Amino acid sequence: MESHVGASYQVTRRPRRPMGFWIAKGAQYSLLILFAVFVLVPFMWVIFTALKSNLEIAQDPLGLPPNWRLENLAQAWNQGKFSRYFINSVIVTVPIVILVVSLSCLAGYGLARLKMPGRMLIFYFFLVGLMVPFTAIMIPLFYILRDIGVLGTYWAMILPQTAISLPFGIFFMRAFFSGLPYDLTDAAKIDGCNDFGVFRRVMLPLAGPAIAALVVFNFMGSWNAFLLPLIYLQSDKLRPIMTGMMFFTTRWGPDYSMSMAGTLIVMAPIMAVYLVFQRQFIQGLTAGAVRG
Amino acid sequence: MTDSIRQFFANRKLRDYATAYAFVLPALAIYVFFVVYPFFYTIYLSLTKWDGAKPVKEFVGFLNYEKLFADPRLWSALSHNFIWIILGTVTPVAIGLFLGVLLWRGVRGMVFFRTVYFLPVVLAPVAVGIIWKWMYNPQFGPINSTLRAVGLDVLAKGWLGDPYLALPAIILAGVWGYFGFCFVVIMAGLQNIDMEQIDAALVDGANGAQRLWYIIIPGLRHVLTMITAFTLILGVNVFDIIWITTRGGPGRATHVIATYTYNTAFRESYVGYGSALAIVMGLVSLVLSFIFISIRERGGD
Repeated sequence: MESHVGASYQVTRRPRRPMGFWIAKGAQYSLLILFAVFVLVPFMWVIFTALKSNLEIAQDPLGLPPNWRLENLAQAWNQGKFSRYFINSVIVTVPIVILVVSLSCLAGYGLARLKMPGRMLIFYFFLVGLMVPFTAIMIPLFYILRDIGVLGTYWAMILPQTAISLPFGIFFMRAFFSGLPYDLTDAAKIDGCNDFGVFRRVMLPLAGPAIAALVVFNFMGSWNAFLLPLIYLQSDKLRPIMTGMMFFTTRWGPDYSMSMAGTLIVMAPIMAVYLVFQRQFIQGLTAGAVRG
Repeated sequence: MTDSIRQFFANRKLRDYATAYAFVLPALAIYVFFVVYPFFYTIYLSLTKWDGAKPVKEFVGFLNYEKLFADPRLWSALSHNFIWIILGTVTPVAIGLFLGVLLWRGVRGMVFFRTVYFLPVVLAPVAVGIIWKWMYNPQFGPINSTLRAVGLDVLAKGWLGDPYLALPAIILAGVWGYFGFCFVVIMAGLQNIDMEQIDAALVDGANGAQRLWYIIIPGLRHVLTMITAFTLILGVNVFDIIWITTRGGPGRATHVIATYTYNTAFRESYVGYGSALAIVMGLVSLVLSFIFISIRERGGD
């Protein structure tokens, strides 16, 4: 009886892992956790600091907030005019994303699939724009925007941000449309679609994932843009969230509790969206480095 | 007149061309007016002396460029870009590769680690700068407070106020905000590595370092070149995080070419000289991007 149980135990038992395996496993996890801590600790201290009073910060800068003062957030929101800044960011970002994505789809499709003289020349002409840094055009752009009378309006950010985002958008969408099979377009043409019809009814519906990546990429690009609004949207009424946040933390400099509360307000929504749409975020943000 | 228009549209080929151009034209118009034209305008401005307000832009030829070569502030700014490029490229790529290799065969909690490492990447550089300005705060900042709490008071210092430490301190903040990006791209590259080769190497008794050096790194060649070039270009253009943390200070210890250009053209109103700086920066960036794009077009398949 006893020996029988022992034998069956012998058969089903998992192979013994050598000691070295567990040491390696332990080292692996320690390192992974170490880097996770390196990432998370600054976030933790931003949250802690934001929810303390300045006196509590001075008494214990490292510990948990003794009172979790959520009212700090409300106070920063009101005193920092964050609602204004958020609205401004939305007002400039939405048209930029719509313009960049629709113009890039059109031009990318045209350059990938339609015959026209000088097609490659136009494509390379756009490609050069991928290599021109914003700094190389920012100075005269200020005077151009002033002369056409848009300085002091949201267009002073919408137009240049759209323009500098187009080369990548076109490059990206052209690569995508080039990869679609030609049978589809031919079939639609036989059914009597014209070029625009093929684009709108056949190609665009297939481009969903590519468009989503481009939307995330450009949304983040213009939401996070800093130098461009710093130069062209100087009026406090027009200021988007990034430059607004800079002026807020400068103004409240030594008031650490207020400036961290402001920072938390700005960070929280984007992080919440990231945690929900993680895959789309990662795809969209790495679109620039990974082949589209 | 109407006849010729009708004829034009009757010609199928011409009509197709017209449609094709209509797809491209709106993007082209915006691009030409707000990117190409300003670029040539910058070249023109770089040949003038102008304060941005006077009605006349005084043409001075290459004078700005002559001054520029003798300008120690330009060379110091470029050397900071150089340091940023070296440290700011090698470190995040190395960390990304290291974590990628630790994680690539699937580990319990894989999704958690990826989520965490990528978290700072979604933050704006401005937010990264503000967070780390607080971390480095000399009085109550977490870094100094921790040092004091464990009795290392001597090590507590004004990190961003020290001319030797400020630049490395900002680079560390940049690495914090960026290594997750390298990690994710490298992880994507690791998926394409041939597992049979690894298994064969295991049978032949290759150790971890040998597998990394002879199989994994060669397999990641394209991904690593691409991400290195990409990071390099970011290093040439870095502006936001430096402007938020130190504005180029203390003294000129953290000025890079972009902050120097912005400061010269917009805060000191030397528009002509600033434009010459912008052209220098454009050239550096152009050369690097050209290399990047030619690698990208060639590689990957």
